[in-house]
Amino acid sequence: MEVLTVNSLKKVYTTRFGNNHVQALSNTSFSVQKGEYVAIMGESGSGKSTLLNILASLDKPTSGEVLLNGKNIVGISEKEISAFRRENLGFVFQDFNLLDTFSLLDNIFLPLVLSGKSYDEMKERIKPIAKKLAINDILTKFPYEVSGGEKQRVAVARALITNPQLILADEPTGSLDSHATDHLLRLFGEINDDGQTIVMVTHSIKAASCAKRVLFIKDGEVFHELYKASMSDEELYHKISDTLTLIATGGERNA
Amino acid sequence: MHKLFYQKLAATNIKNNSKMYLPFILTCIGTVMMYYIMVSLSKNNDILEMNGSLRSMMELGAFVIAIFSGIFLFYTNSFLVKRRKKEFGLLNILGMEKKHISRVVLWETLYTFGLSIAIGLPGGMLFSKLMMLLLYKLLSFEVPLGFEISSQAILSTVLLFVVIFALTFLNTLGQIHLSKPIELLHGSQTGEREPKTKWILTLLGIACLGGGYYIAVTTKDPLSALTLFFVAALLVIIGTYCLFTTGSIALLKILRRRKKYYYKTSHFISVSGMMYRMKQNAVGLANICILATIVLVMLSTTISMYIGMEDIIRTHYPRNMISTTYDISENGVQTVKDRVGEILESHHLEAKNTLDYRYLSFAASGEKGVYVVDMNLADIMNIKSLCFIPLDDYNRLMNRSASLNENEILLFTGRDVYEDKTLSVLGHTFSVKEQLETFFGDGDEHMQVYYSTYYMIVKDVDVVNEIAEKQKEAYGDDDFEKFIYYLGFDLDTGNEENIQVYKEISAAFGVDDYPDGNVTSSVASRESFYQIYGGLFFLGIFLGALFIMATVLIIYYKQISEGYDDKNRFVIMQNVGMSKSEIKHAIHSQILTVFFLPLIAAGVHIAFAFPVITKLLALLNLTNVSLFAWCTVGTMLVFAIFYAIVYALTAKVYYKIVS
Repeated sequence: MEVLTVNSLKKVYTTRFGNNHVQALSNTSFSVQKGEYVAIMGESGSGKSTLLNILASLDKPTSGEVLLNGKNIVGISEKEISAFRRENLGFVFQDFNLLDTFSLLDNIFLPLVLSGKSYDEMKERIKPIAKKLAINDILTKFPYEVSGGEKQRVAVARALITNPQLILADEPTGSLDSHATDHLLRLFGEINDDGQTIVMVTHSIKAASCAKRVLFIKDGEVFHELYKASMSDEELYHKISDTLTLIATGGERNA
Repeated sequence: MHKLFYQKLAATNIKNNSKMYLPFILTCIGTVMMYYIMVSLSKNNDILEMNGSLRSMMELGAFVIAIFSGIFLFYTNSFLVKRRKKEFGLLNILGMEKKHISRVVLWETLYTFGLSIAIGLPGGMLFSKLMMLLLYKLLSFEVPLGFEISSQAILSTVLLFVVIFALTFLNTLGQIHLSKPIELLHGSQTGEREPKTKWILTLLGIACLGGGYYIAVTTKDPLSALTLFFVAALLVIIGTYCLFTTGSIALLKILRRRKKYYYKTSHFISVSGMMYRMKQNAVGLANICILATIVLVMLSTTISMYIGMEDIIRTHYPRNMISTTYDISENGVQTVKDRVGEILESHHLEAKNTLDYRYLSFAASGEKGVYVVDMNLADIMNIKSLCFIPLDDYNRLMNRSASLNENEILLFTGRDVYEDKTLSVLGHTFSVKEQLETFFGDGDEHMQVYYSTYYMIVKDVDVVNEIAEKQKEAYGDDDFEKFIYYLGFDLDTGNEENIQVYKEISAAFGVDDYPDGNVTSSVASRESFYQIYGGLFFLGIFLGALFIMATVLIIYYKQISEGYDDKNRFVIMQNVGMSKSEIKHAIHSQILTVFFLPLIAAGVHIAFAFPVITKLLALLNLTNVSLFAWCTVGTMLVFAIFYAIVYALTAKVYYKIVS
């Protein structure tokens, strides 16, 4: 079953007086199956961020459609969009995006509180997640009191607690040391094994090599894709590395 | 390096930070103007010619402005420096030594100082004439022509501001020199820790505030109100600071502990948001609250005294013309009546509302119906004014035909409740035959103001004389009160004729067989009343304007710093799934709470202070409580509207920063 379908997405940025056009996405199409773990790679300026913003419904495309479980999120009105995002999408950001006015527990509860869930339900929901992410001991602390790795695990917990259709991760390992990166990637793998669909945008070959499928974006188009299938992480790592070299040294000629 | 490098850098810095610096410079200019105006008024020749009270009022005003602008500009400047630490850190890292940065700061200070003086002084000179006109209008004096520039005032203003700016400069230097570059870079980002609950301070705050309120509400007599008012004000100020800083956080933490309440969409964001806002802003908000309270009290009292001046004069002088003479014999009384009658006749005038009686009045202390004149200060709460009036006069004035025995009295105690059956004075014991509900002479209330007065109607003049003798023995030859013939009446005529009559009556005292005494005319005294109350009113408006300016500046800077702090939070909340309108709503309601909290607290302070202030005003002879109530409500409304406008304007700056 397809969770996410992106059809010929196009995004053109126009300067204020309309005489300068920059095409961020030209014709992007791909789809994500339920339970998949997809990494999207590309250089700076390739349109990754634009794509992610549109998937996250933070930005609107110039044309094309994005279907989440068959529903076109491009057409959702401004009023409903926040609630829609809260209930269907989970986010993990590079810089954690935790509010330092809240304890870690409250940060995790934030989307549930916004959806008007009862406190008892929240307490029930946090138990298995906190156990899985090993954050039980730090829940009463504040973001400035814990390490980057712990912050990111809290952010993952916040993304998971709403049982979203899809988790969108934007460079989730970008601010972490190698130890914390390994830990987080292992967690992503476990979560995915439990059936959670994940789409991750990343620069890091290491992060991408943990995914089950890797999409490469160049100049606003899906340029290439790799399936992990039976490859090990290392093998995929080399494959990705080769592909990136290919893209950087003149992919168009060889494609 | 180029010769003008520092000067130029300093000028650019001010220009680039204009969002922060412009209001500061404007405030400097404003305070320079106000200080100059106040000093020049106190040195003004025309005012020097008037009596001293007005001048000392202006001097007091100048003093208050000096102290206040010193504290306030210092406080604002250190806020600005804190905000600019990052900039200094950057300059430091780019290779400027601290002494170079100090030179830049020196030039900045000099520019600010130069601007303030260059615009403030001429502005002050222009406006001083305007203020002069306003003052004279309030005093209802003739406005003198001419324009005066006071060199003394200029000198004093320049000196004061040199000192203030030197102090702020030294403070800035200290801040720069004490910190390391890396700290400078992160200067404005420190201090995001969650505030701790301080129960002791919270309880202290509650106790102080409660104590202050209790004193304000329960103080009954005006004399103790005078001393206790300052105690109460001090307690309320301490309480306000404690409760704003720690009480608010304690309350929010209690709310947070109640999970069912806390984890609700509308409470969740605001409770935790408020906690940090209160941590950062508590002192500033407490400042606003105290300033607002001071402004409101000052304006409402001075306005009501000014408006109620005629009432005050009437209370002070129950009749236009009041003669008191020290001969109560039939002869003496008749001489006074005849002579006054002749004088009035020569002016073709008629006495109206005539009130005449004989009385002996002196202060005594005691309780449980036993009064002595053995005074010591500890007994000040129990002081009563005792007024003895012969039955004849009472019966005549009240159209009654009561009769009394030697040791019986009729007693009128006004607001006081007197429960005993007897009353003894200096060993003389009277039994109370009747307690009176009403009494003659509506104006006599003024006697009630200082201490409660007991009016005692005794059998005849002989009884009064007996008491008078005893009182004379007790008080000694110098201090004793005389048995007095009181003659008060109104005249239906203009001020000049009134004063003429007043002078003629004054001239009669002690001449031939006319008894000694004195006469007072409300018209003759009006001028000095206008000087005092008009002067106070002027001072109230002037200082009120100064404090309002300070309040506006504090609100402005609060909005800006809130804006920078909220910017990141705004983005995160949006990412986590709040819609723009939800965020806007949440933040708006928090900001609204934060800024209107001081106003509401000030309103509560005023409400509790109201009873004690009415007592104080009674000391100044203003007994018209409803007038004062209206003035208070009026000033509060005007202030609230003004506050709301300031808020709305500064909120714009805030939203510009956030979005």
